[in-house]
Amino acid sequence: MSCPGKLFYNWSDKDFDESLKFIDTEQLGNDPYDVTIIGAGVVGCALAYKLSLHKLRVLLLDKNYDVGEATSKGNSAIIHTGFDAAVGTLESELVTKASRGWPELAKKLKIPYEECGALLIAINDEQNSHLDNVYEKALKNGVTDVQLLSAEQALELEPQITKNVLRGILIPRESIADPFSTSIAFAEVALTNGVNILLGTEIIGVENANDKIKTLVTGCGKRIDTEIIINVAGLGSRKLADLYEGESFDINPRRGQFLIFDKYSRSAINRILLPIPTANTKGVLVIPTIFGNLIAGPTAEDFTINDNAVADTTVEQLQALLNGASKLYPGLYEQPVISTFSGVRCNCSQGSYWIRCNDGHQGIITVSGIRSTGFTSSPALAEYLISELHEKLGLNLEANPEAIDSRSESSWPGWWKRPYSNNELVKEFPEYGRVVCYCEQISHGEIIQQLDSPLKPRTLDALKRRTRAQMGRCQGFDCMVNVAEIVSNHCNIPLNKITKRGPGSEIISTNTLQY
Amino acid sequence: MNSTKHFNILIIGAGPAGIGAAVALSKRGIKSIAIIERSDKVGGIPSFYKKKKGGVRTFIRWSRGGIPVFGEDYAQWLEKQLLKTKVQIELQTQVLNIDAKKKILTLVSPKEGEVNYSADAIVMACGSREETLAERGWLGGSRPVRVFFTKQLLCLLDGNHLLPMNNPLIIGSDLIGYAAAAKLKAAGASNAVIVDNRSGPKCGFFERLYFRLWSNPKYQGLSIKSIEITGNKTASGVKLNGKNIPCDGIVICGELIPNSELALNGNIKVELHSRKPVVAEDYQLSEPGWFAAGNMLGGFHGAEWCYFNGRRVARGVVNYLSQT
Repeated sequence: MSCPGKLFYNWSDKDFDESLKFIDTEQLGNDPYDVTIIGAGVVGCALAYKLSLHKLRVLLLDKNYDVGEATSKGNSAIIHTGFDAAVGTLESELVTKASRGWPELAKKLKIPYEECGALLIAINDEQNSHLDNVYEKALKNGVTDVQLLSAEQALELEPQITKNVLRGILIPRESIADPFSTSIAFAEVALTNGVNILLGTEIIGVENANDKIKTLVTGCGKRIDTEIIINVAGLGSRKLADLYEGESFDINPRRGQFLIFDKYSRSAINRILLPIPTANTKGVLVIPTIFGNLIAGPTAEDFTINDNAVADTTVEQLQALLNGASKLYPGLYEQPVISTFSGVRCNCSQGSYWIRCNDGHQGIITVSGIRSTGFTSSPALAEYLISELHEKLGLNLEANPEAIDSRSESSWPGWWKRPYSNNELVKEFPEYGRVVCYCEQISHGEIIQQLDSPLKPRTLDALKRRTRAQMGRCQGFDCMVNVAEIVSNHCNIPLNKITKRGPGSEIISTNTLQY
Repeated sequence: MNSTKHFNILIIGAGPAGIGAAVALSKRGIKSIAIIERSDKVGGIPSFYKKKKGGVRTFIRWSRGGIPVFGEDYAQWLEKQLLKTKVQIELQTQVLNIDAKKKILTLVSPKEGEVNYSADAIVMACGSREETLAERGWLGGSRPVRVFFTKQLLCLLDGNHLLPMNNPLIIGSDLIGYAAAAKLKAAGASNAVIVDNRSGPKCGFFERLYFRLWSNPKYQGLSIKSIEITGNKTASGVKLNGKNIPCDGIVICGELIPNSELALNGNIKVELHSRKPVVAEDYQLSEPGWFAAGNMLGGFHGAEWCYFNGRRVARGVVNYLSQT
């Protein structure tokens, strides 16, 4: 096995684990990196994973305190077949390619995945007239297993959908997966194969961009040397590109709000329900999640790059969303909404999948405009980028014979495999039998297991994405403080220093004391 | 999985209602009773309102006032009643699933792992929780840290002696909200602002007068269609009719909904929107041999009401057992 990489957090608090603290650049080794990936979203993590299969010195860094924390955490969690992508684009090519590889990838990386299929339904004459075009487009995109359905056939597959259905299209391979586990799995394997990971670190300067060895300046004033820089910083990619005089492009973050329904709604709908996109609107989807909920969304609202409201939810839009989604599945009005969220698409005005090699200077790649399809396409996009690195940036690729490309059986998330059902395991580790999160039925043991996992999550949100504790219908009413106490005890961090997403988001106001 | 253990009665939840039912059933001579509790102590929600010198006593008969007490004291009294009986107490035991027809519960605990318990009759006293932001339907905005439910506030304030905020804003104006404002003030925070989407506070006049002993929160209501929580990392305020009310922490109070999901999973009838289980005579649920007690029935009741309700439900259970 190759030497595992190092993980550091830029977390200066005195109570934070010394061995994980980023104090000095020397911790990262003295030689320059071959490749530094800026942005540990799903694309950055996929790239780190694929690069880790080669003999290279790679650094993955992100300004957040977990991987997959920004754009990659809020989406519809659909693995698209690419049936409705714009024909002939790079996006369509990568999505189609990635979609075929997903079942095997999910198995290897232990990512919960289900080929649930999708049902596209036309509910008025205008939509009905577009249906044949959608079908033709799917065939052109190489998705040849789509089937045209009559109203009766559609209702037979999904009896709960609106009785107004006129016709439908079945897309059997449209799938759902766990978006959180995906970034985590990629990053974990990369780490195991020797990629170093640095979290909580923003890049504020690029020096010697013209030279072979470039220097990245971090927000805390440290300098990191690297030969190649890959900018996959999502919404931050514009600001980062300015640091190295990259070609001009614009990002218009597009907000997508979603409603999350409780688990007993899931039995009503088995497939993703899609409206027919018309000239005016793409419409609202009803999507089963791999976690056992239903979600409805998204909205599409454009923002400017520095507007913080891009992650907010709004009462009016959510009501409109419910009305829209109920047109597909009228029973939704009956279903309790347990939570809402906003996802942000990294929308590039100059076109999606904006990729520039040797951007501004030799040895720099800019990747932006990776919209919602990025979750699906990430493994194929990573491979595409590696071939570009080889051909256009002259990166020498030599396979690393010691690298692994999968995670072990024990890496399946607890909520998916339910460790407490294994009585032998509970006998050995009774904590797997002590349920902490009542709604999602997550045990104390699962939380400890995640705290000790390779990426060493240390924030409540990072734990939430891994274990699902606090993700259920009570939204942390019962377990939030208990989970915080477990982190506090296990990691020796005082309870008042436990954070939601890193320094500055402590659960207890820093100005108050014990009373 | 091990074989199924059989009991005369199983009670889910060792809060006031579950203990009331257990005590009453035991007094009526029923031999094998087990009470199943998912946390590590009995007493339910009152046990989170800790006893403290000079601390805030709250009402155990929320809806009708009564003499203020420390919840912890009442929880200890409940525990004493329970320990006088021979009821088997299973702590740290979570009910994963139910089979309503066969009256079987699938449980998990550190001690036994996953096991099945069956019974002649089952009382669900699962309590309630506070509605989430989304369920309330009029709260939008950002997702900062330091937005707490009352139970979380109590765990920090009373359980860990940590005051999470200095300038609290409370959403929800019933007794729970006013009690939270008083507790925060007593712990050193400033007077809270209480916000609700109704013209006046839900909390009764005399109870509000009582909590004036500690704090005088400012009420903001009237024709609020929606409010937005603001703050990037930590809560910094709420936007209300275009005006920003600053704060450094938010507590979401009251608006209880029953924990009826186990019943739902077992196909016992539950009204979907209110999530109240459908109850017939003697608090019987839609499947024979199943009963509900306490705040799981829906509504907004104090601990003492729940305790006596548990006793009434026990009478129904005895009736049922004598008929079968």
